[in-house]
Amino acid sequence: MKWQKYLQVAKTSWQAGFVYRLSFVMWRVRVVVQFLAIYFLWTAILGNHNDSFGYTESQLLTYIIGTSIIRTFVFSSRSIDAQGEIASGDLSNYLVKPLNYFTYWLSRDISDKLLNILFMIGEIAIFIFVVRPPLFFPSNLIFVLLALIATILAIIMYYYFSFLVSMTTFWLPEENGWPQRFLIFVLLEFLAGGLFPLNILPPALYKIAAVLPPAYMLNHPLQIYLGKFNLQQSILTIIVTAIWIIGLREFANRVFKRGLKVYGAYGR
Amino acid sequence: MDNVSVRSLKKYYQVHKKAPGLMGSLKSLFHRQYEQVKAVDNISFEIAAGELVGFIGPNGAGKTTTLKTLSGLLYPTSGEVSVLGYKPWERKAQFQKQFALVMGQKNQLWWDLPPIETFELNKAIYEIPQAQYEVTLKKLVKLLDIKDILNVQVRKLSLGQRMKCELVAALLHNPKVLFLDEPTIGLDVVMQKVMRDFIKEYNREFAATIILTSHYMEDVKQLCKRVIIIDRGHILYDGALSKVIDTYARSKIITAVFSEEPNLIKLGKIGEVKEYDYPKAVINVSRTHAPKLAAKLLQEFPIADVNIEEPPIEAIIREIFTDKKVKS
Repeated sequence: MKWQKYLQVAKTSWQAGFVYRLSFVMWRVRVVVQFLAIYFLWTAILGNHNDSFGYTESQLLTYIIGTSIIRTFVFSSRSIDAQGEIASGDLSNYLVKPLNYFTYWLSRDISDKLLNILFMIGEIAIFIFVVRPPLFFPSNLIFVLLALIATILAIIMYYYFSFLVSMTTFWLPEENGWPQRFLIFVLLEFLAGGLFPLNILPPALYKIAAVLPPAYMLNHPLQIYLGKFNLQQSILTIIVTAIWIIGLREFANRVFKRGLKVYGAYGR
Repeated sequence: MDNVSVRSLKKYYQVHKKAPGLMGSLKSLFHRQYEQVKAVDNISFEIAAGELVGFIGPNGAGKTTTLKTLSGLLYPTSGEVSVLGYKPWERKAQFQKQFALVMGQKNQLWWDLPPIETFELNKAIYEIPQAQYEVTLKKLVKLLDIKDILNVQVRKLSLGQRMKCELVAALLHNPKVLFLDEPTIGLDVVMQKVMRDFIKEYNREFAATIILTSHYMEDVKQLCKRVIIIDRGHILYDGALSKVIDTYARSKIITAVFSEEPNLIKLGKIGEVKEYDYPKAVINVSRTHAPKLAAKLLQEFPIADVNIEEPPIEAIIREIFTDKKVKS
């Protein structure tokens, strides 16, 4: 069975993830501290204003909490290690096996995300219980469902996007590909709406940012949840995300094939 | 039937050439110079099923590049390659299930987990039936004596133990063709012998076709009847290891034991005195004149004992690599 090999990959990846308990704990602490810092920063910015930038206080704080949650779903990734493997020649270990390198890393990513989600649920529950933030809940549950679908698609979209960045190391192997990843991901964080909702931007900039792939990874799923997109816009967002996935997947496959032609299998 | 067939294989690389120093680095930011490296340049050979062939050559000779091409890691610049009837770089699953590549300095074991976890993962990846997996694992574990380390974290294993586990991980699917790139590198002499015995046994028991590269001539001498000698991307020799001496040795070694101190100037006229520690001298003489020179030595010197030998294979191969005039 083909899927069984990828299930085994996910299981092995989980086991490896649990080996270093201290680094695991420190990583979760980092995520929580980062989340709390952004949350309290926005609480201070909002002050006593009930409405800011076209958002109610509960909508904006839900957006901030939501970015932390969706970031955990979408941006957490083990597959960034692929760039190091390409640069160091460790990719060779996979190329000689009956294994799809994309599916291999997708399996590892999914296992990693499940681990993240498990911990995040507990952390957010404690946060809500202790801080009791004013949260926004959509009156129509269909938007919760659509936001969930958009998030799942965002995970797959981000995966191919991230893999494309990793594959630049076929041509730019310096520093294991980290210079280009840092640059691209600083832009990604901003353009995805990781710092603030994109429609806070000046209208001209927002129009551009809203059609680019990063917006579909964080901003748009949250806008669906917050009811800022109507039903038609929400469905269109999901369709466009699916199209982006197909395009990025096709592009990633082509780049991988081209990359293998220049791959030097270095390291020996 | 040939399991491996290589015809007119070429693999050229474009290599970025940087001038030395900071200025060189700055210049290379704006104007990069590339040079073409001919890692493998028009080589051909065929290997029959069940053969164990030694692939020898100095660093940068093209051995590893050839193995990487045979494994489907590299696309050739030109030429034809067939392994078990497949073009390796097409990386068909059916092909990948029948061969393995083991690189002495690359590992596939999961560093933070015990080796048994990598074995389980490979079982799933190669879709090995449970019964076959159990039989093969048991056999390999016994052959390499690794029962006690199966559940120890890989990072805590010694290099030799890791290498044994690497071999098991690579062989669980019973590959028909095996490419071993420096499998004994960095191992102590005892572990080298364990590896050699294992490779010999695997070749015998599974009738596997094996190509082995090694810097240790002992590996090649103990395992391979046939060798392919490669240097600067060209094959210099392809044939029986025993014939390398007949083909390339241009000298013989006379070891003489004297009953009295010999005249060293006179002794130097017999041949090149490589070692002298009275009463023993080791003299390198021309291969064609060796019988005549040995007779002269017996007549003109006070000899207690004399012995004529072929030079060691290591010396002959070193000679081949250093002699640019040698033709294939």
